[in-house]
Amino acid sequence: MRITVNIPTILRPLTNNQKRIEITGLNVLEVIDRIEQQYPGVKEKLVTEGQAHRFVNIYINDNDIRFSEGLSTSLQDGDSITILPAVAGG
Amino acid sequence: MNMNRPLTSCMITGPLQNPAPDFSAVASSLRYQSGALGMVCETGENAGSNAAFSFEFKTPHTSPVICDVTGWDDASRHAPVTENIIQAACGLMSVHGRASGKSQALGVNYVSTLTAILALQGGAAASIGQLRGLSLSNSSVSMAAAALLSVGQYIAGATVFESPETLRPGIIPQSACPPFVSADGVIFELETLDAGPWQKFWTEIGVDSQIAGKGWTAFLLRYAKAIAPMPAELTATIAKFSYSHIAELCAVTGMAICPIRSIDARAQDEDCKRVWLQGPWEFAFEPALKNTPPSIAGNDLPLSGLTVIESCRRIQGPLAGHLLALLGANVIRIEPPGGDPLRGMPPMAEGCSARFDALNRHKIIREVDIKSSAGQAEIKQLVKHADVFLHNWAPGKAAPLNLDHQHLAAINPALIYAYAGGWATDGAAQSSGNVMPGTDFMTQAYSGVAKKIAETSGTQGGSLFTVLDVLGGAVAAQGITIALLNRCMNKVGGKVTSSLMSAATLLCSDDLQKHYKPQNADAISKSIIDGVYATKQGYCAIECRDIKTAERLTKALDITIDTDEEGFLQHLSGLLLSKTAHEWIAILEQADVPSAVVVEDLTDLQTIPHLQPGLTTGSYTKVISPWRFK
Repeated sequence: MRITVNIPTILRPLTNNQKRIEITGLNVLEVIDRIEQQYPGVKEKLVTEGQAHRFVNIYINDNDIRFSEGLSTSLQDGDSITILPAVAGG
Repeated sequence: MNMNRPLTSCMITGPLQNPAPDFSAVASSLRYQSGALGMVCETGENAGSNAAFSFEFKTPHTSPVICDVTGWDDASRHAPVTENIIQAACGLMSVHGRASGKSQALGVNYVSTLTAILALQGGAAASIGQLRGLSLSNSSVSMAAAALLSVGQYIAGATVFESPETLRPGIIPQSACPPFVSADGVIFELETLDAGPWQKFWTEIGVDSQIAGKGWTAFLLRYAKAIAPMPAELTATIAKFSYSHIAELCAVTGMAICPIRSIDARAQDEDCKRVWLQGPWEFAFEPALKNTPPSIAGNDLPLSGLTVIESCRRIQGPLAGHLLALLGANVIRIEPPGGDPLRGMPPMAEGCSARFDALNRHKIIREVDIKSSAGQAEIKQLVKHADVFLHNWAPGKAAPLNLDHQHLAAINPALIYAYAGGWATDGAAQSSGNVMPGTDFMTQAYSGVAKKIAETSGTQGGSLFTVLDVLGGAVAAQGITIALLNRCMNKVGGKVTSSLMSAATLLCSDDLQKHYKPQNADAISKSIIDGVYATKQGYCAIECRDIKTAERLTKALDITIDTDEEGFLQHLSGLLLSKTAHEWIAILEQADVPSAVVVEDLTDLQTIPHLQPGLTTGSYTKVISPWRFK
């Protein structure tokens, strides 16, 4: 599965300032693991104890993975992953 | 009823009972606030002009500080203002209009109340400056500066270079945004700070998880962007159930719910009168001898050299710290290891969220794990040499961390310990309110602010502009400044508590006065003409508070009030379509009629010459300090 990952500004120092990364993976966790292999340090910014951080939203084509299968959500060829910080409340 | 009023030895004097009409709402709030602080309020004879309003802030230990309140920051501009004209000219109508269907006024004296807070705070700050060696005799603020401050974060988001927000009034149909409506017609807000309860709740209601997820994304947006476009399926499905059934599902799933209540209903709450009588802050002081703040000189600001430790998230607390920084304080901001996640919230300016930077750019950042004993020790070390500790943690969190007032006052008795909370100053914490997260939109709903806004805006609920987060932040900073003044005068340390709820009470203080002391309530006259009108190009806002102003309007437009009110307004609306908003405003300003081009695109603010004194451009447009001292 060929996946495009949109990297938020806050993580770009870890990805040589790349805004987008093309990568393969069958589910979200696999994609994050493969990014981690190329750009160490990314995973700990996104995942704690097997789940996405509370303050991070991960979207597959605009769909929040929390409302699918979380990090196990499977991916289709051509899917786009977007990572955004998320804080509720004012 | 024993209330600790910290400024009983102080006084404000000026035309507070008989101000010029443009400043009547500012003066009314000043009377309420100074009374709640225990100040003697002496009304002068001179009504002042419509261009400016002044009062003196006096303490037994300082010479009087003249506090000037103007409509505009630009001293050369004398165009008359009203609450709604400033809302139109400075972008508030634009932000409120994003989710309320169109550019329109909030329907509450928001800018006037905020201006009164800043004006009183300016007097207190200048007095602190005098006690520390500065020769300050004047503090000035403008309604325009207060209005720009209130939308500073939204201006930041709209003016970044990369991917700016382009959200204009009416971008979202009002019906697509919260609040929700039940089958039996109850209008209510839902709230949760986590995705889990949201997901469980909508699953119970019978909405597909993916659609609920899209709703969650929109729901998160509302604090930042003042919009919340819910998928239609959510609003349609929930509308099939009765309120009591929805409330039961909320209880089961951990979702919070609050009906939109009236101010009348709020006034019946047990704690409400006490909060209203007390004012938006609760003070408690103890003697503390070793507390002489360092002397300052020259061009220093009143709080220069004082240290504030801030452990706050989101808007209310960070804005309070920001205001203290603008008064010169060194603000050390505690963030969790890795930094505050809001730093990464787009749109970005030079690697940091512009919205975040707008509230935090003057602070020193320390990353501390406050849950660890090492982190708590680090904070205590900082507190030892600090003047203020400010937090907005959830209720009950400070004591288990050993960072409550008792622990920190033991380390530093002269400390001002400040809590900027959600619900209440203490009595109300026991009310039914405290089971709900103390967030802006829940507080708007519970306090009656939402319903008041809805009645004016023709909407179902309050504003998605963070009305109370901003006002609550200003109230917190003001309470801290007043506590610092009391510390300088009377050698005390202490605690000051404020909340979104107490800010809401302040905003509704005139309405509550009608309930509790109707004999003292001012008769608030309705403006004769007050509206937003389409023109050949753009919109203009016009407000005529009295018949004389209405006569100047009709003379300038060469029309007569010889028909019924509806016919006249129809005639006026038709006529205004013949010229552009800018052309009309040039004519109306000449005639001394309060009026403004309605700013719909926030990027326009940085191009309007008379707003320039309050803004600086750069990687995004920043709102500068609302105070000028001399």
